Order: sequence, then structure tokens, then C-alpha cells
Amino acid sequence: MAAALASRLTKGRSLLGGLTNAFSGLVSSSSGSILSQQQQQRTFIQMGTRLKVVDNSGAKEVMCIQSLRGKKGARLGDIVICSVKESATKVDVKKGKDAIQKGKVKKGSVVYGVVVRAAMQKGRVDGSQVRFDDNAVVILGIKEKKTDEKGKEKKQNYKGGFNQPLGTRVFGPVPHEMRLKKQLKILSLAQHLV
Amino acid sequence: MATSSHLLLPQALHMIPRIPSKNLGVSSLIPSVNSRISLSRVSLNHSSSNVGFAIGSRKRREFIAKAEESSTVGEDTEAVPEDVAETVEDNEVEEAKTPWKPRTKLGDVMGILNQKAIEVSEKVRPVPEIRTGDIVEIKLEVPENRRRLSIYKGIVMSRQNAGIHTTIRIRRIIAGIGVEIVFPLYSPNIKEIKVVSHRKVRRARLYYLRDKLPRLSTFK
Repeated sequence: MAAALASRLTKGRSLLGGLTNAFSGLVSSSSGSILSQQQQQRTFIQMGTRLKVVDNSGAKEVMCIQSLRGKKGARLGDIVICSVKESATKVDVKKGKDAIQKGKVKKGSVVYGVVVRAAMQKGRVDGSQVRFDDNAVVILGIKEKKTDEKGKEKKQNYKGGFNQPLGTRVFGPVPHEMRLKKQLKILSLAQHLV
Repeated sequence: MATSSHLLLPQALHMIPRIPSKNLGVSSLIPSVNSRISLSRVSLNHSSSNVGFAIGSRKRREFIAKAEESSTVGEDTEAVPEDVAETVEDNEVEEAKTPWKPRTKLGDVMGILNQKAIEVSEKVRPVPEIRTGDIVEIKLEVPENRRRLSIYKGIVMSRQNAGIHTTIRIRRIIAGIGVEIVFPLYSPNIKEIKVVSHRKVRRARLYYLRDKLPRLSTFK
């Protein structure tokens, strides 16, 4: 426990030291965050961020390779392109409620996902802020590797909007921001709305 | 700057700079509409209010002289401050017998505004005494979820005092995941705050709860 804490302390310090230029504005503007050096300064979801998958699409852990919104990275409610690092083996759950859609998402496939939980606080219009303990995505669709034509088509597809998640169940709490991002299906599937 | 002119007006009229010229003090007390507007304009143009009063008073001196000659009727014996003595007391016609009001300094303005805003909010909904370690239940009206009030329960991790934007941070384990929400205490969206119980804590900010077992942040 102490060792974990110590490692987190050093992580926080180096984060602050290395990225003060980029994030000093963020740090000073966010009212709810703590500036003391003992706490991790939670930031955006960027390339390399590992995210948990909270639906039953077949993937378990994903790594973000591109944030489709924001120069610095994705926040709560934004769409990211991810690469599946770990997926549920078919042996795990085949039948029942949690049934994984057969052969939907495999390890190594590139998918689109919407961030449903972020460790970075998100401000709301009424002055409140919400933050979760982990980063999580719900997978929306698979990005197919095709020629340039298909690439363009994919962009159009994005503009049309990914509204349908790939899985049929969503686990854990889901924030109200999904309504603003037009992810109504996820809202309806959610266990608990924050 | 436009808003500050409204603020400056009552402040300016009360602020009588301690300059040994007596005309200055009284000229600021003359409550004619035109003089107020021009006075505020003058004080806007110049950085220090003292200079503004000086220029304003020069314009008023002729007026004062005329008033002195003509009026003998409106002689109020006002309890004017000690440094203003002889000739200019007759000019205060409208000012009733007000005692010497304490000056509201520019630095106090935000505090006073915050207090007033809190008073207004307290009339609508009184806010109980909330401290770190309380387990509270908040009923929130969410405009997106218009059907019924959302209920948030949890332990108060911290309380940040900032006037009207005093916030509390509530932590709770929801569906297996820890969630922290910062609520502004005096928000009109909050329909009810209730302190359910209290846990003894020896800190003002309970950030250590993030590293602890989820069991400590679970509240039924």
C-alpha cells in the first residue's frame, strides 16, 4: 500500500514537472482539482491511454490511439479511436445475460469508442463537477481497414454520428453527459445514471 | 467598467477623502442628478478617486458660491465629519441627519456582494451546517431529467468556501465505481440537503478515501 502510494507520488510529481507548460492553464482554471503535489493531476485521454471496456462487445481493455475531439485529448463524452489490447476469450461467457456477441471484437482490431467514465473532472452548466475513479469506454463500431475511398466514407460515417453501441449491455454508472452527446441508447442501457 | 460605475456611485458618494480642503467633501455630498453622473464619469476617467473629486469640486465651487448667497432656508445642521467645518454646511438640503456612516472600502465589495447573494439564496432554501465527514443526501433537480429529482448520497470529502460558490465534494461508490461530484451549495438546482449521519474524521479534506477500500465509501 505504501509502495503503491509512493509510486503514485513520484508519478504525480513528474507529471507536474514535465508538463507544467502545457497544463498550467488547465490546472489554474479547474476549481475542483487539487494542486498539491501529493495528488495525481488527472488529465485527458490521449494516445496510449488504457481504458476499460464496459459493455459486452467482447473487448476487455483498449488503448486509445487517437482522440477525435480536442487537441490535447478526449474528455468525458468524447469519441476515441482505440486498439483492442485484451478481449474476452470465448470460453468465458457464451450464454446467458452477459453473452458476448460472437466474434464481434477481437484483440488487435481498431474500434471507435465513446468515453463514458473519465478520471478527469468534467464541469457541468450548473456549476457542479463530476469525476469517476477510472477511465472507461463503450465501443461504438469497428473501424475497417480499407482503401482511401472507404477511409473517406468512414469520416462521413462519423459525421453522421455513432449512436448505437456495439454491445447490448452497459455496466457501471453513466453520466448525464451522454444525453448531450446524443448517446441515448447507452443511457437507456445504463444501470445507474449519475 | 460599466458595472463598476454602478458600484462606484454609492461608494464614491460615501468616500470622502481625507484631504484638507473642505469643499471637496461637501461637493461630493450634493445629491443632484447631474453632479452624480458627471462625478462618476470623472472618476471613471481618472484612476484615483481623489483626483476625480478634485476636478469635480472645481466645477461645483461656482455652484456652491451661488447657493451660499441665495439660500438661507435650507440650513441643516448635519453631523458632518470633523474636518469639514465652516461655510459649506448650509448646502446640504436633502441629506437628512445621517450619522457618520462607515466607509465601504473597495476591497470589501466582493465580500458584501457575496453575502447579499447568500442571503437571497438562504431565503429560498436554507442550507444546513455541513462539514467534512458528514454523510449527506442531496436532492437535485436536473434539467435533463425533468421527471423527478436525482438523489445523491455520500460522504463530504471537502468543503471549499468561496462566498456564493461554496462547494462540497461528495464521494460514493455507485455500481462498483467510485464517483465524486462537486456541488455548489447555494445552487438553485439543489432542492434539499439533508445530513444523514456523521463520521469522525481527523482531516479537512478526505482525499485519502480514493486509495482506500471501496467499502469505506459505500453508503446505502
